[in-house]
Amino acid sequence: MSSNRRRHANAIPVASFLTWALIGIFACGGGLGYVWCKNQLYTTGTEIKSLERELVDLKNKNEVAQSKIAQLSSTAKLQERYDTGFIKLVPITNDHITVLSNSTAAPNTGELRPVSNERTHE
Amino acid sequence: MSATAQKRALTTCIALAGCFTVFSYRLIDLQVTKHDEYALIAANNHVVRQTIPARRGIITDIRGEALAQNEPVRTVVADATLITDRDAVAEIISKTLNIPHPQVMEKLTRVVYSQALKKEMPAPYVVLKKEVPVNLASDIMAQMAERKQRGLYLETDSTRVYPNEKMLCHILGYVNGKNEGMDGVERTMERFLHGNDGFRYSERDRTGREIVPYRGQEKEARNGCNVRLTIDMGLQNIVEMELDAAVKQFRPKSATVILMNPKTGDILAMSTRPNFNLNVQDNVPEDHRRNRAITDIVEPGSTFKIVTTAAALTEKIVHPNTMINCENGYFASVKLHDHHPYPDLSVHDILVHSSNIGVAKLAIQLGDQKFYEYVRRFGFGERTGVNLPGEISGIVHPPHKWSKISITRMPMGQEVGATPLQVATAMCAIANGGHLMMPQIIHDITDDQGHVISQFPPQEVRTVATKAATDAVRDALVEVVSPRGTATLARVMGYHVAGKTGTAQKPEPDGHYGHDRYVVSFVGFMPAEDPAFVGLVLLDEAQVSHDKNYGGMVAAPIFSRIGEKAARYLGLKPTVEEPTGSVMARQNTNNDYRDQ
Repeated sequence: MSSNRRRHANAIPVASFLTWALIGIFACGGGLGYVWCKNQLYTTGTEIKSLERELVDLKNKNEVAQSKIAQLSSTAKLQERYDTGFIKLVPITNDHITVLSNSTAAPNTGELRPVSNERTHE
Repeated sequence: MSATAQKRALTTCIALAGCFTVFSYRLIDLQVTKHDEYALIAANNHVVRQTIPARRGIITDIRGEALAQNEPVRTVVADATLITDRDAVAEIISKTLNIPHPQVMEKLTRVVYSQALKKEMPAPYVVLKKEVPVNLASDIMAQMAERKQRGLYLETDSTRVYPNEKMLCHILGYVNGKNEGMDGVERTMERFLHGNDGFRYSERDRTGREIVPYRGQEKEARNGCNVRLTIDMGLQNIVEMELDAAVKQFRPKSATVILMNPKTGDILAMSTRPNFNLNVQDNVPEDHRRNRAITDIVEPGSTFKIVTTAAALTEKIVHPNTMINCENGYFASVKLHDHHPYPDLSVHDILVHSSNIGVAKLAIQLGDQKFYEYVRRFGFGERTGVNLPGEISGIVHPPHKWSKISITRMPMGQEVGATPLQVATAMCAIANGGHLMMPQIIHDITDDQGHVISQFPPQEVRTVATKAATDAVRDALVEVVSPRGTATLARVMGYHVAGKTGTAQKPEPDGHYGHDRYVVSFVGFMPAEDPAFVGLVLLDEAQVSHDKNYGGMVAAPIFSRIGEKAARYLGLKPTVEEPTGSVMARQNTNNDYRDQ
């Protein structure tokens, strides 16, 4: 057997090897990518769920707080607090109320008028 | 190949073919024949239809104060198929929710028959407790996690809360366990308040946790709309306080106060006794739940004289100064008495002195048919149309059912059944110049974004009297609330008040009018020149001595106190210059407040 022929028989089929290697890499990469995507999907799902829970909790807390505020600021509660002396208010008696009627605007005649608070010289 | 070897190969082939045939058959059986059955089992195990609850709309007063709203709560549910240590779970539940341990254990050990698996299995859905506060529910879940237990989950729910408790109980109404309106505005506005629940299909893993990426069809919840009432809580509070004081003083069987805006028909305040706490509804007698302003009929008594007088003046058969012979207090042919003998009274004075004979003669002059027509025109005998459930139409008999003396009794408010709201609405027509307005309790409806969905503008039912006639009646009613009239105690310092008292004897079981039981009332408006509100005060069987059981002595002072506070609350400009140091007219006891 000639040396040339032996060399030819033991030659590494680089192209074929590379082809299969690439196919393998792509297959493995694809598989890993799929697993990674799937994992990401689950992780994101868990995050979404956790955020949703947090949002619902906050909404609930907000509603509970609003309900509490409404109860504490309701007319009935304020009246109760006033009756028990918690809110110290003194009712204004009729003789302490002055009702002012709206002043009518002076006609725009161009005439000069003294201002109402102008002091007259004695 | 030898014959033996061929035989063996053939046998092996046949055996393999047989095996594959069996496997193929089983495959087809599982995937095709029993597909639906197994798909259902799989779906039952993993796919869940999760309800997204809609928020019920809130109810507010005209100024936006919340009158009915929601508080989030949780329903604690157990899935016994997932529970490994029932005793530990029961201990957590019984400690936190104060439920006896055996009771929890009984629930957790329940079994149900599974149609899909064709065998008994632990119950996958057991409600342990409803309406659990959110913080308690969170505590339970924290304890479950701490003790590494599973099989409990929380369902979102909400409970209706009424911050003002007893106030407006008859107007607001209440909801049942399914959050459906059962009475009041909660019931009439149910279709707006309720909203539509949403849903979401999702898959769960074997531990019961949702697998978010496998979420299926989803529909968002549509929250209920918010309802704004015409009620003003400032005025309502004034009414409630005065009504409480009146009930304490007179201990009536029932009492009603209504405040209305005569120009729009808006109900500004409405209260009835007995009442109840909307947040604690156990053992509330049915009787207390009735909104007597619209569900009870009473004979209006002398307050009905405004209808007769306005009708006679509108028909122009008399004018305010026309003199009517009042028979010196006894109209013999129809056996009708006046409380005081009057020889002749003008139409104006008939109202001022509340003469029964005078109004009877006005009705006789009008004639049966015409008088009946006016009674109906003023809204008696028909529902007002207010947006509250259970309103009745009252009783007004047509002329062909009248007795010979009906034409003399109806003008003074006997033989007529009217709801307090009908009386107040009729007075609104006098106050606004003759326009019968439909009473409104709803101002508007908005969605949860604040967009107005529906409005309830003032609605005139019909014109019932001329402006001249109502002006004349109003002038007379102002004098009713003067030292000459029957309602001096209804005066409000600084304002002209117009009004009419009513004292109606209640019929006994034998059909005759007794002398012990009365319905006393006052209906009026202020300021008389430009009315800001019409007020009705009605007490049924007030516990006072016989000589004081009159509308002018019982109901009129209540109106006066409400009027005084309401005028200040509304910032009404005084219309009367009171002399310095003047004494309120209510201190004058020399007047006669009696009417019939």
